[in-house]
Amino acid sequence: MNPLIFTTILMTVLLGTMIVMMSSHWLMIWIGFEMNLLAIIPILMKKYNPRTMEASTKYFLTQATASMLLMMAIIINLMHSGQWTITKVFNPTASIIMTSALAMKLGLTPFHFWVPEVTQGISLTSGLILLTWQKLAPMSILYQISPSINLNILLTMAVLSILVGGWGGLNQTQLRKIMAYSSIAHMGWMTAVLVYSPTLTMLNMLIYIMMTLTMFMLFIQSSSTTTLSLSHTWNKTPLTTTLILITLLSMGGLPPLSGFMPKWMIIQELTKNSSIILPTLMAIMALLNLYFYMRLTYSTSLTMFPSTNNMKMKWQFETKQITLLPPLIVMSSLLLPLTPMLSILD
Amino acid sequence: MMTYIVFILSVIFVVSFVGFSSKPSPIYGGLVLIVSGGVGCGIIMNFGGSFLGLMVFLIYLGGMLVVFGYTTAMATEQYPEVWVSNTTVMGVFLLGLLMEVMLVLYVLKSEEVGVVFKFSGVGDWAIYDIGDSGVFSEEIMGVAALYSYGAWVVIVTGWSLFVGVLVILEVTRGD
Repeated sequence: MNPLIFTTILMTVLLGTMIVMMSSHWLMIWIGFEMNLLAIIPILMKKYNPRTMEASTKYFLTQATASMLLMMAIIINLMHSGQWTITKVFNPTASIIMTSALAMKLGLTPFHFWVPEVTQGISLTSGLILLTWQKLAPMSILYQISPSINLNILLTMAVLSILVGGWGGLNQTQLRKIMAYSSIAHMGWMTAVLVYSPTLTMLNMLIYIMMTLTMFMLFIQSSSTTTLSLSHTWNKTPLTTTLILITLLSMGGLPPLSGFMPKWMIIQELTKNSSIILPTLMAIMALLNLYFYMRLTYSTSLTMFPSTNNMKMKWQFETKQITLLPPLIVMSSLLLPLTPMLSILD
Repeated sequence: MMTYIVFILSVIFVVSFVGFSSKPSPIYGGLVLIVSGGVGCGIIMNFGGSFLGLMVFLIYLGGMLVVFGYTTAMATEQYPEVWVSNTTVMGVFLLGLLMEVMLVLYVLKSEEVGVVFKFSGVGDWAIYDIGDSGVFSEEIMGVAALYSYGAWVVIVTGWSLFVGVLVILEVTRGD
């Protein structure tokens, strides 16, 4: 793609998300979502093969449907309250439709079916943008309407997402599908605590974005999209095997790594609100996630996966410059002692 | 009949939307879009928005739909699909018509319609603000407000349309 056009389209994606996050008028928020969707389609379709086109079409159809539902909820809200500001959704019908629309945009169950297929069909960098930047805009709207969200629907979707994200990722060897299911599960954790304490949703989003960014960049550095090609990193850059191990364990939510921080805070907040069964179930289902991360670490860092002999003697090394990888790795594994600084997110 | 003119026009509007959503060939979709554009213009005019209705005719029908018609005529196939040619298309069209007829009967029979939300006539949609505009009509003041208070909206929508063209050119380039 022409670099000038690519820069313009990328800046429009950023502008769309910024408009969504900074507007107080519902129509501007909808325009921001549409601008975001329109501009990310050519980024998803950077390579012109039928897989990317199919993935972009699926993404466009689901997100456009979600935008239509959002517009309907906005109009119902307008009819019942007579104003366009975003502070409070005055009608339960509008609130439920809005929650479903934003869940479709995020990829929560039962609207999660597009996430693995779209992530698998596009390149690693586009998948990175899809799974991190595109979650910011719907999550910011959920944050702003969080006082008026129906708790039953949101908690059902959250718990089912954690279950589907864990269970669905078990049979996968393609790394992009694994990251997609991990995204579904993390979105479930984020929305579970949204009504109780939106600050923790933002904390989880921050740490999730850092960890996903790190994982994708480690994949991009070794140009690996399957577990098999990831298992050859001991030969290419031996240091990244350790880093993959640490980051994957952090994503699984193990203390003393920083991925434990959001899970710990969320479970604490849920138990403070006298729900005990729910966080227990969520923690148990997070073990499914941990299982397939451990399987990745087993094949990558802990053992030398079986490969043919000429794979073991690599003589041509390519070096890619991956921006900000060391700080990201440090931040996605060592932030746990900074938990008392959580109050700055208020 | 004049008291029900908005209702009749909105029924024709929905029927033409059903006509193109049942996916005949795009030429026929453009045909019912012309009908729905004209009828929509009538609905807006009945609320006093003569400027906006004429904008629909000029810009939407006279600009965008003409370009759409020309491009579709260039890309059309030898035997385009009509509503009665394909069983699926006819089935969807008849289903949409049936649902519309049932809704119209429901509205005509009872005072208030409660499908997803309660709706009891066009009065529900009128939102009055306290601005006293005096002799100017509301819709022309709305257009003026678009360019004064709503400058940011103009910038954002203008940029979206521009990026839309860039995106379409980029997607259909197919290197």
